[in-house]
Amino acid sequence: MMIISVRHRLAVSRLLAPATKCSGKHAFMLVPVALSLILFASCPAWVFASPGANDDIHKFEAARARVVRSAVDAALPCIVTIETVGGAQPLLEGASRPTEASFRMADGPTTGIILTSDGLILSSTFNFARDPSIITVRLSDGRRLVATLLARDHIRRVALLRVEAEELPTANWAEADEVMVGQYAIACGMGLGEARPFASLGIVSAVNRRNGLAVQTDAKTSPVNYGGPLIDLEGRVLGLLVPMAGAGGGALAGVHWYDSGIGFAVTGDRIAAVVERLRRGENIEPGKIGVLLAEQEPGVLNELFEDLFPRSRGVRIAAIADPSPAKRADLQTDDVVTALDGHPIGDIADLQRKLSDRAAGETVTLSIKRRWRSFEVSVVLARSSDLGPIDAPPVQPEPAPDDNVPPPGEAPVPATQPDAD
Amino acid sequence: MQIERLNQFFTARLARAWIVAATAAGMFVCSTMGRDSVAPIIGNAADCVVKLYGKAAGREHGYGTGVIISPDGRIITTLSLMVSLRGVKVVLADGRRYEARLERTDEVRQLALLKIEATDLPYMTPHSAAHLEQGDSVIALGNWFKIADGHEAVSVCKGIVSLRMPLAARRLAQDFDYQGDALILDAITANPGAAGGPLLDVEGHFVGLVGKVIESVHTNTRLNYAVPGEEVIAFLKSENADSARGASDGLRRPEAQSGGETSSASAASDRTKRPYIGVRLARLGYRHVSAYVERVRPGSPAAKAGILPDDLILAIDGRRIADADAYEEVVARFLPGQSAAFTLKRGPDILVVTVIVEAEP
Repeated sequence: MMIISVRHRLAVSRLLAPATKCSGKHAFMLVPVALSLILFASCPAWVFASPGANDDIHKFEAARARVVRSAVDAALPCIVTIETVGGAQPLLEGASRPTEASFRMADGPTTGIILTSDGLILSSTFNFARDPSIITVRLSDGRRLVATLLARDHIRRVALLRVEAEELPTANWAEADEVMVGQYAIACGMGLGEARPFASLGIVSAVNRRNGLAVQTDAKTSPVNYGGPLIDLEGRVLGLLVPMAGAGGGALAGVHWYDSGIGFAVTGDRIAAVVERLRRGENIEPGKIGVLLAEQEPGVLNELFEDLFPRSRGVRIAAIADPSPAKRADLQTDDVVTALDGHPIGDIADLQRKLSDRAAGETVTLSIKRRWRSFEVSVVLARSSDLGPIDAPPVQPEPAPDDNVPPPGEAPVPATQPDAD
Repeated sequence: MQIERLNQFFTARLARAWIVAATAAGMFVCSTMGRDSVAPIIGNAADCVVKLYGKAAGREHGYGTGVIISPDGRIITTLSLMVSLRGVKVVLADGRRYEARLERTDEVRQLALLKIEATDLPYMTPHSAAHLEQGDSVIALGNWFKIADGHEAVSVCKGIVSLRMPLAARRLAQDFDYQGDALILDAITANPGAAGGPLLDVEGHFVGLVGKVIESVHTNTRLNYAVPGEEVIAFLKSENADSARGASDGLRRPEAQSGGETSSASAASDRTKRPYIGVRLARLGYRHVSAYVERVRPGSPAAKAGILPDDLILAIDGRRIADADAYEEVVARFLPGQSAAFTLKRGPDILVVTVIVEAEP
């Protein structure tokens, strides 16, 4: 069984390796691949219908099915079914009542995985978007236990629960650096209410997604398996399935991409980094600087600067919220942010990406260029809800600092900018 | 500079080596990919799949898929408003067009049998899906989104069987009335026009019929599923008894006949004795609220089992009780004399008590 699984993992991974690891310089390596694809396309039908080929397919399919079942069996003890009672339908961000556009949460069971034998359980924040009054957990052995929600991490979309129990079977995590693009991955979830999980077979589509927080998979992810594990063919957990697609940070953000072939699983190392805080009951929210950003305007000097130091153009601060970390650090409109913690900033998306996994309360160092002066400041990131209104020079009727859509006057702000950072 | 040139030299050498090696590897990949493709499995199945076109009604689409199951033109498909209306057009794989006549329907299995006047057609025989387990590969064919025009062959997708389970679903806000087990698929089949297409196993056997677009009540997301082959077989066999349309209305499912303790069929047949538990649940106006016990009648089955006011009923016989309505629904199916396991939450504890149902005094 082992041999089969390892072989297939290698086979698929190797197949994809030239395409994914190809840099511009080695692009020519794609030529033979393309050539062989043309050959493949023009192969006469007898190649596929040759005697013995069918036998091989059947052996392959049967072996793969067995491996999938044994992988699910191996992971099964650490997968729990979560049931909740009470709570209210979550609203779209900024909406006063549920709208057509918002996804209506069902009240069926959801999924979690056992992190520690003494009763810490991981799940997705999505499963608790209703703020239920009562949470129960059903273990794979059928026991039902009352669970307490300790804290939520709104960056990783991970929730930590506790049940009073001992010697629980725990998840066996795969090493993050062993995960390969192209290897088989199975998304498991208890959302259909059966004793055995719904299993969706796919591959790892990408690693280090969402600023390194998650692996991406083409296995089907949905409310059926959010909070459940993405496992490899040995049943080891590659990550915790969460809705993480698209922009925006609402409780239901990303669920519209369910079953799309673009799913995300937060890796174990990134969860381990915050488990202690969550265990203490600290919720983790995205950290904000409290500024509206604009791309640097092109100019002779700027272009010269960029030629000399590519990808360090920086982004211009168009407006500052008050109160906000930026205000407290005495940042000014038209200051240019050139680096975050020493990493050069190319454009707005770059800065947003680098900030996306930094939590409120954390300190970051910004490199600032003000006219001809360069200096560094430390700012303590704040929660979006703690930001004041933006004292925007462009006169706008109270632009909320975390508006998803930039006000019409903010021409330089691209549409892809979800938040003021 | 020197190093740069050296680099170029080597990369050029490397490139040639690569072309040779990768072409060889590519050819190897070709052969393995060929073997790993679904092409030989599908065989001539696509010849037996037909495209259906009819009248759209409301949010029901006016197109679908069907499978020829006899050389004389009998076609199995999923029950829909479209097939129950007149003027369903059938387009064969070779492009021939026929008008179909509806022979029979089965509301319980959500199946319909059509007939066209033709002979010597390619056809498939339904097989049982009992051998399929989680992870087994399956292939679905269908007229998705009417993409296949005229002579064009229907679309094909490949996935695995994920679960075999009863459906709890709704369709266009209505409860979806399908009683048996369904095959839940890890493949995207829940698309317009896909319903009525065949599900094949890796042997190429016709083991199920793709169902129409429904949403799970557990998750509010679309369910990809197929009606297992044995249900198709049972539907076709039932024809011998009575070939008139609607004959299947009198058809009892085996599960219902054997009469499990909570079977709705048997409960409904015995309305004279109403089940009695002796619990009154808290209600807030007409709102759906969790099943909190407000009062327990002394001497009632609930009192004997030790249920107390303020207990929250989480589950009965393992089935989750989401709210007071769900409780009423489950209790209504009980028969006096049967026992039921109530899972209760009392303060921080979860306990299970056994209630012996009595007849209403």
